[in-house]
Amino acid sequence: MSEELVSGNHAAALAATLAARANRGGRGFGSGVYPITPQTECVELLCRLPIEKGHVVRVESEHSAMAVCMGFSFAGARTFTASSSNGLAYMAENVFSAGLYRLPIVMMAVNRTLGPPWNIWAEHGDTLMLRDAGWIQLYCEDNQEVADTILAAYRLAEDRRILLPALVCQDAFFLSHAMARTSLPEQAAVDAFLPPLDLPHRLLPDVPRTIGGLDWPRENEVHRRELHEALARVEEVYGEVQAAFAKSFGRALADPIVPYRLDDAEIVLVSMGTTAATVRAAVDEARSRGIRAGALRVRLFRPFPERRLAAALAGRKIGVLDRDLCPGLGGILWAELRGVPGISPAQGYVAGLGGGDIRPEHVAGILDDLRARSKATEPVFVEVG
Amino acid sequence: MTGAKIIAATFARLGRHVQTFGDYAAERAGAPVRAYTRVGDAPIENRNKVYRPDHLVILDAALLDEEATAGLAAGGFILVNTPQPPEALAHRFPAFRLATVDATAIARSHDIGTRAVVIVNTTIAGAFARLLDLPLAALTAAYGDLGFSRDLPSARAAHEAVALGPAPVDSAAPAPPPRPRMSVLSLLAHREGRPTGTRTGSWRTQTPRYVTVTAPCSGACPAGNDVVGFVQAVATAGEEAAAEILGRTTPLSAVCGRVCPAPCMGSCSRAALDGAVDVRGLERHVASRASVAVRERGATPTPRRIAIVGGGPAGLSAAYELAKSGHAPTLFDAEGALGGVLHTGIPAFRLPRAPLAREIADVVALGVTTRLGKALSRREIGELPRAFDAVILALGLQKPRDLPVSGRELSGIEQGLAFLHRRNVEGGARIAGRVVVLGGGNTAIDCARSALRAGASGVTLAYRRSRAEMPAIADEVEAAEREGVAFAFLRAPVAFSGNGRVAGVVLAEVEPGPLDASGRPSPVTTDRRATLACDAVLLALGQSADDSVLPEGWTMRDGRVHAAGAPLPVFAAGDLATGEGTVAAAIGDGRRCARRAIAVLEGREEEAAPPERTVKPSEIRFHHFDRRPPTPHVPPASAAAIALAEEDAGLPDGSEAARCLSCGRCTRCDTCLVYCPDGVIARDGAGYVIDLDYCKGCGLCAAECPRGAMEMGA
Repeated sequence: MSEELVSGNHAAALAATLAARANRGGRGFGSGVYPITPQTECVELLCRLPIEKGHVVRVESEHSAMAVCMGFSFAGARTFTASSSNGLAYMAENVFSAGLYRLPIVMMAVNRTLGPPWNIWAEHGDTLMLRDAGWIQLYCEDNQEVADTILAAYRLAEDRRILLPALVCQDAFFLSHAMARTSLPEQAAVDAFLPPLDLPHRLLPDVPRTIGGLDWPRENEVHRRELHEALARVEEVYGEVQAAFAKSFGRALADPIVPYRLDDAEIVLVSMGTTAATVRAAVDEARSRGIRAGALRVRLFRPFPERRLAAALAGRKIGVLDRDLCPGLGGILWAELRGVPGISPAQGYVAGLGGGDIRPEHVAGILDDLRARSKATEPVFVEVG
Repeated sequence: MTGAKIIAATFARLGRHVQTFGDYAAERAGAPVRAYTRVGDAPIENRNKVYRPDHLVILDAALLDEEATAGLAAGGFILVNTPQPPEALAHRFPAFRLATVDATAIARSHDIGTRAVVIVNTTIAGAFARLLDLPLAALTAAYGDLGFSRDLPSARAAHEAVALGPAPVDSAAPAPPPRPRMSVLSLLAHREGRPTGTRTGSWRTQTPRYVTVTAPCSGACPAGNDVVGFVQAVATAGEEAAAEILGRTTPLSAVCGRVCPAPCMGSCSRAALDGAVDVRGLERHVASRASVAVRERGATPTPRRIAIVGGGPAGLSAAYELAKSGHAPTLFDAEGALGGVLHTGIPAFRLPRAPLAREIADVVALGVTTRLGKALSRREIGELPRAFDAVILALGLQKPRDLPVSGRELSGIEQGLAFLHRRNVEGGARIAGRVVVLGGGNTAIDCARSALRAGASGVTLAYRRSRAEMPAIADEVEAAEREGVAFAFLRAPVAFSGNGRVAGVVLAEVEPGPLDASGRPSPVTTDRRATLACDAVLLALGQSADDSVLPEGWTMRDGRVHAAGAPLPVFAAGDLATGEGTVAAAIGDGRRCARRAIAVLEGREEEAAPPERTVKPSEIRFHHFDRRPPTPHVPPASAAAIALAEEDAGLPDGSEAARCLSCGRCTRCDTCLVYCPDGVIARDGAGYVIDLDYCKGCGLCAAECPRGAMEMGA
């Protein structure tokens, strides 16, 4: 175990490199990368680090980056790439392909506002746009979680019961460019945690096949159902991954949802990513004023951890703080949460669009609004810029 | 951002928890950015930007204002990168403790950054560490962690240099001004809004400018020629224009275009790309198309009569300079023809006599009186000051170095210069049998190649150092080798054998020893010896000044003759003064000596040229240039392996000049204009104009200038 002062971008690259090297006894590692602010530091470092049996291909676009990853993955290699915002939008066709092909690719995404008009700061709309692509989606809060989640994502993605790509998300700049002390495991521990990938549908030179050919309606309905069922198994396998993670690295892997002062909370604010830290500070401040407030951070967005959320939120007044917007509907996390059975209707708040810094006073205002409400209405836009 | 990282890394080294991040926008180099560092005893969860800092570091003093200091805790440090003392700023911020350090100057003196932009963050972090009393060991370790150890001396210098102002006088920090809410125009209403101008020029701390910097070739030319100037003229304006530029400093381009060792080419930036520009070939090319020497005498209200003793390159150059300026030089030479070593020493197959005669005639035609064919005695030299306003002694190095070893008295051992004189001046000198030439300079090569042409059955050149250390022009060494001259390197002659007539040279093996004053390994002679059989030996071991030519009572000091403790209007020029030993050096010194003599006569200060900065290879951006190897010379007309006529037929045309990178001289290539990220450079007449209202000083233009003709400055 070594501790390094690294940014979220570098934490991702270092963790991916550990995972990459762990497959040296298998079919090696391959990656296609294309830079975009604020992800560039990650792929720059990936290109510099030596990886035995590894190839990092610098391609001309995000679309090709994912295509290269799919090729490597079909050949049985462990793969990694990273992108952000409009890069993900350009990559989208192949993001869906990777999910539909059931390839255990791990991608790190730095959440950045989609343009135009151009904006490079944090927002979750870019990865949430890909929520139906058949990928596991995890959102991180700090540098350590980025490194841990990348490693765990490989174990999840490559599990025979799942075999799906995984997207590990972190907020632009607040996390991607923030340096903090981060523990990175030794290679031997990663080798033990991530045994060589054995992809059941890997392409074999002596068994020529066309992949991704015509899918008849009858085939398609089965394949899609399989995809759904595989994604649905993630939560169950996640518990096993947590146990293995703790055993290998002597450190806990964060839960799919992370509650804060929830036990006796009357009102609870749900959020994702780095905003949760500010929410916790606001909750502490509200509690100091005698308000029974709590917080819940959603780490696992796909599959959506419905039962856990229902158990955690039942009987409380719920607010959802989205750093994203589905125009015409509201916050995307809020929209998803509305479908969870057995909880009261949640009030949606949209804040921090375009990377605005959501400060404790903004969250305090939201908590006050939530407490004063008798019923949920249309989403509230909180302008923090 | 890097400064914030260093501070974080230093605290991390002290076991503290840290968090550091930048507050970026869409800016590029040159725009102001903020970066934050938090330090704590527990892992830091707060990921908001820092609104209430304890301390503030300002990398650019122009950014120090109330907005920058808003929210700063009372009593906090404000560390500013500025040459000003803290007292000059303290009154503006009474609640804070000002500290200043000139990190820009310190970083520049440590060569941190690019040639365009000084990078100050690794330096100022050292000053900040001092303010917070952070141990240097932790700072040192942090620089190691981040890969900045090379910048540590600069950080330590800032650590030493930081000046701390007086304690704050106010105990309360001013309330931060309310943050104005940006008014936002609907996307549908964009036609109503006008783009708001940001005078980004106000961000600038360094300003680009166009400069002319001495090219390495020009800086290396002992004759003082504007090398890059004449080569560029060949490329852009033709041979006449190039000849005009050469004629300012030399009348002997046909000569130097053949025999110069060309230090210009040795220092040519292009050598690192695909081979030096063939400057020597180009100078010869110019001289073959146009007369280099000026044809019009200049005018002076006070023409002086100057005697020049010695008609070699230095004397000719001095005479040319004087006649060009309207003075009246008289050239004395013992030989029947002018040219000195060009006439007596250098063989015609290397320097044909027709172009030499033409260039000498051009000098004489400018108004030079000649007195040839009689060597002046010491007494006659001593009387010259009475008949002339000044005397320039350009006698060269007339005393050949001898080899006082056993057997030196044997017949068949001759000074190489005497042999060359016999062959070149008297004509038809023959030499028979196996010849050994001792020495490694151009005279040695000339002797060897002349001996082959004079009847020798074989020639071996023995030199006490290695081939790479030969002072001779490499091309000439190769030509000699091609013609069949054998070489014995690291061999020193220690005796001659023979009975009455030389029959062999005893050569000792030499091992390279420690570096000597010339920077070359000193030759260490060993006991391992062998005799090289031969029939004749030519000594080409160098020459020295012949002091016996100076009249009684004359002493030479700093190139000027003194008698009875007082300076005479008598000066030494060329090899006699400098011992440099090349035609080009003699030309340069002859000209400088002539100017000095006139300056002394006119009672002016002697001109002292300020040292010029030359373009460094690291300032050339090779990626802007296509590879193109040097132009081959025209094949010799004669197919004979050993030709008596000039062997090298020179360049076919002037196209080689297009290979010149024009180091340090703007060619209006537009690279600056193309690379300017803000589009603030425009063509303007013969050059460019930079809109300083919007130039933010990013330095890309200067960094990308292919030829080092831009620089950044305050």
